[in-house]
Amino acid sequence: MTRQEIEGEILSIFRREFEVENPGMDDNLREAYGFDSIDAIELLLGIEKLLGFDLTQEEKKQAMDIRTINQICDYIERIAQARAAAAGKK
Amino acid sequence: MFFSRCFWLAIDFFITILLWGYFLFGYLFLLLLFYIPAYIFSENRAGALQNLNHVHLKIFFAWTRLLIPRTKFAIQKEVREIHSSVVVCNHISYLDPILLISIFQRQRTIVKNTFFQVPIFGWFLRNSGYVPSAPSEMMGPAMINNLESIKEHLAAGGNLFVFPEGTRSRDGKLAPFNKGVFSIARYCNAPLKLIYIKNTNKLFRPGLFLFNARDFIKIQVELISFLEPDYKGNNFSISAVADETRRLYEARIAADENET
Repeated sequence: MTRQEIEGEILSIFRREFEVENPGMDDNLREAYGFDSIDAIELLLGIEKLLGFDLTQEEKKQAMDIRTINQICDYIERIAQARAAAAGKK
Repeated sequence: MFFSRCFWLAIDFFITILLWGYFLFGYLFLLLLFYIPAYIFSENRAGALQNLNHVHLKIFFAWTRLLIPRTKFAIQKEVREIHSSVVVCNHISYLDPILLISIFQRQRTIVKNTFFQVPIFGWFLRNSGYVPSAPSEMMGPAMINNLESIKEHLAAGGNLFVFPEGTRSRDGKLAPFNKGVFSIARYCNAPLKLIYIKNTNKLFRPGLFLFNARDFIKIQVELISFLEPDYKGNNFSISAVADETRRLYEARIAADENET
């Protein structure tokens, strides 16, 4: 999945789940849109669906520090690459 | 008239002292006799403490039935049989959470943070696996730990009961719902059981802090519906589940109002 595709999917999740249209990629989600911890769970579940696999507890904990959409995209890329590398080793 | 009112007020006061006395000192007594051994020796510490709490509060309601014979309890069999579910409930009285603990043997809930600061009781709540509503517990890695722990609890047959209104309704009307409970259910991939409590606010009236021994009261706990949303489906929406839940409660309350 390319960076552009990830961004498109994340923006779609924000439109569908949080009714946020065209958020800034570097907006602080908490300050700009009142994003709270329950929203973070919804986002995590959306990311799992996007990636097509369940995140580990550690991976979920890493997501809790995310503040912007760009950071979400970085996170997804990082997880996808780590999983692909792990699968390659096997 | 005046003497009758004074008589019943004295009875209510006496019963209130007895019941809350049992409630508070029962915790202390049980703590010494059972909680500490359960804490030290049980492999499933939280489960053992939940079970003891369940027994303690069952006895509390047995005393209530004995001391207030004019109040009857009608708890549906289907409610008692609920397991591995997120139980959603309306909230009309302080009695509601303790009534649910007396019904469900393995139970967790989200508790106001202030209760965790009460000596002994706070220790007991934390070790029983109840989750504080404090922002520090519902954010960051702590939240993931809590959710994973709830997921394990549900998988082992326990229930999580939550009042989506967050606080007691003073007038019996439904307050706005917090959607957090539905997100927790989705995270845990758990079914939602909607239960309806009626008349606990007549037995223990908001603002009075006295049990009501005079009136004939029937407390009902019934399963009004259960939802098994397709959490992984493309069309799944938390808002739709929350709205459907609210609609079901409103219909149930309206049915009650039509009866009276």
